[in-house]
Amino acid sequence: MGEFAGLVHNENIKIYSRVRTWIMLFILAVMSALMPALVYFTSDSVSSLMGLWESFQMAVSIAFFLNTIFTVVVASDSVAGEFSWGTIKLLLIRPWSRSKILLSKYISVILFSLLSLVVLVAFGLGSSYLFSSSAAGLLPETNGWSPAQYAFMDLLCRYVELFLTTALAFMVSSVFRASGLAIGLSMFIMFAKSIFIMIFNPDRFEWARYLLFTHMDLRGYLVSNAGPGDSTLGFSIAVLAIYYVLFLAVTWYVFSKRDVAA
Amino acid sequence: MSNMAEQLEPVARLQGLTKKIGSKTLVSDLTLDIPTGQIFGFLGPNGAGKTTTIRMMVGLISISRGDIRICGYSIKDHFEEAVANVGAIVENPEMYKFLTGYQNLRQYARMVSGVTKQRIDEVVALVGLGQRIHDKVKTYSLGMRQRLGVAQALLHRPKLLILDEPTNGLDPQGIRELRDYLRRLCREEGTTVFVSSHLLSEMELMCDSVAIIQNGRLVDVKQLKQVGDAVIADEETLFEVDNAEAALALLGLGALKNGGLAVEATREEIAELNARLVAGGIKVYSIHALSRSLEDQFLEMTGGEGIG
Repeated sequence: MGEFAGLVHNENIKIYSRVRTWIMLFILAVMSALMPALVYFTSDSVSSLMGLWESFQMAVSIAFFLNTIFTVVVASDSVAGEFSWGTIKLLLIRPWSRSKILLSKYISVILFSLLSLVVLVAFGLGSSYLFSSSAAGLLPETNGWSPAQYAFMDLLCRYVELFLTTALAFMVSSVFRASGLAIGLSMFIMFAKSIFIMIFNPDRFEWARYLLFTHMDLRGYLVSNAGPGDSTLGFSIAVLAIYYVLFLAVTWYVFSKRDVAA
Repeated sequence: MSNMAEQLEPVARLQGLTKKIGSKTLVSDLTLDIPTGQIFGFLGPNGAGKTTTIRMMVGLISISRGDIRICGYSIKDHFEEAVANVGAIVENPEMYKFLTGYQNLRQYARMVSGVTKQRIDEVVALVGLGQRIHDKVKTYSLGMRQRLGVAQALLHRPKLLILDEPTNGLDPQGIRELRDYLRRLCREEGTTVFVSSHLLSEMELMCDSVAIIQNGRLVDVKQLKQVGDAVIADEETLFEVDNAEAALALLGLGALKNGGLAVEATREEIAELNARLVAGGIKVYSIHALSRSLEDQFLEMTGGEGIG
């Protein structure tokens, strides 16, 4: 038997040998760098210039959508792609259990999400550094966080959201073997989430406290101790963890049991 | 086949293999030993359950009842150990089109231990892909993808090579080459080859034995004798005579066929029988060998039934 690291290496090759992946990373880098620059060149007075962290946060708030979308694309193709290419038949007849093959795929997707996060931060922060004004007033502290700490906590919360959306896309892609469906559904949830929270307001409906959407955005806890429907941070994390385990359990079960006849 | 090969444990044993999907039984109680060191054909009309059986042998689909043992390991309970002895192409060899042929082979080499760079080069040379191995697979013809498919199946020197309809889409020269290197593989590396097809003529040229399957059931297993290039399963001799019934009565053996008398006999016996017929006053116009080809037998056994 070979090494498990070899399996992850294989999956990485499948991701990074495709031109598509590099185009996505390029777009992400450009968008991250572009936002601070645009604001800088369109401001007409020194007083409207932004400080470093303010500028960075704005870049993140826009570019992070791309980060999520691109990671979902990679996650959706990871399993569904093998089925549509027909290569799944050659992949599953190796001396490796299906669980390990699936794990190697999942790890490669998470590695991609981290890489794209690094790209976003590097280009966003670099550009913010170049195109911000030290003349602009420093942001006040938020709930005891310094602007830098706040910016990174904000990033962490967004990553949690990406992490769950990715798990969902990975599940849909494994269960339905259709990457289009997985991408579409994940995007829908990403954008419809806030509408759902509005309709099924956890303050009005007790059961809405147990929905995934209600807790995906943890950023509220950065400024307040009470979350949606008076939840605590611990409760929100517990709900997210349960959904996460559920998604992965379904993915593993279906992938391991499936008859591959395509 | 040498006697030694016959004494070896069968490389694969299918034991009461059954596959049901809903109320449909695709493969029914199939028991078959695949002897070590042979090219073993798996013959049957379309829809007979060949690909379903092969999918079960490599663990792509679950087994409803029965088991498959490869080199002693059950594919159900010890999948990893069992499948480590198998190299396979199931249906068309689909590869990662955005990678080169070589990169594709590296993918599969990483999944097993002990496949060196040298081994990859060796396999590439065996299937004759040459320098094209460094081109992207999307530029390959079907024949080249078949070769790459065989190459990935052979990388880890499997004891059992399973090929599902390997000649599909190959031109006559490609088929000829495939046949030659399967023979070489069998002879030089002792690999057992299990090859499915619905084409009889192909099986006749390639295989040492064939199992015939129809409607998910095993119909027969036949040894094929190689006589020159043609394969003769059973030989009969036909005497064309003026009065076949009288000839039958005189000799007391054989059967009436095509207006003549068909008998199973050796060369010497034929001369003797001829002498007796002539002495008995029967006119013999011609004597010729009636070889029943595998095709006749196949159609006879499967009764020319439609896909059920």
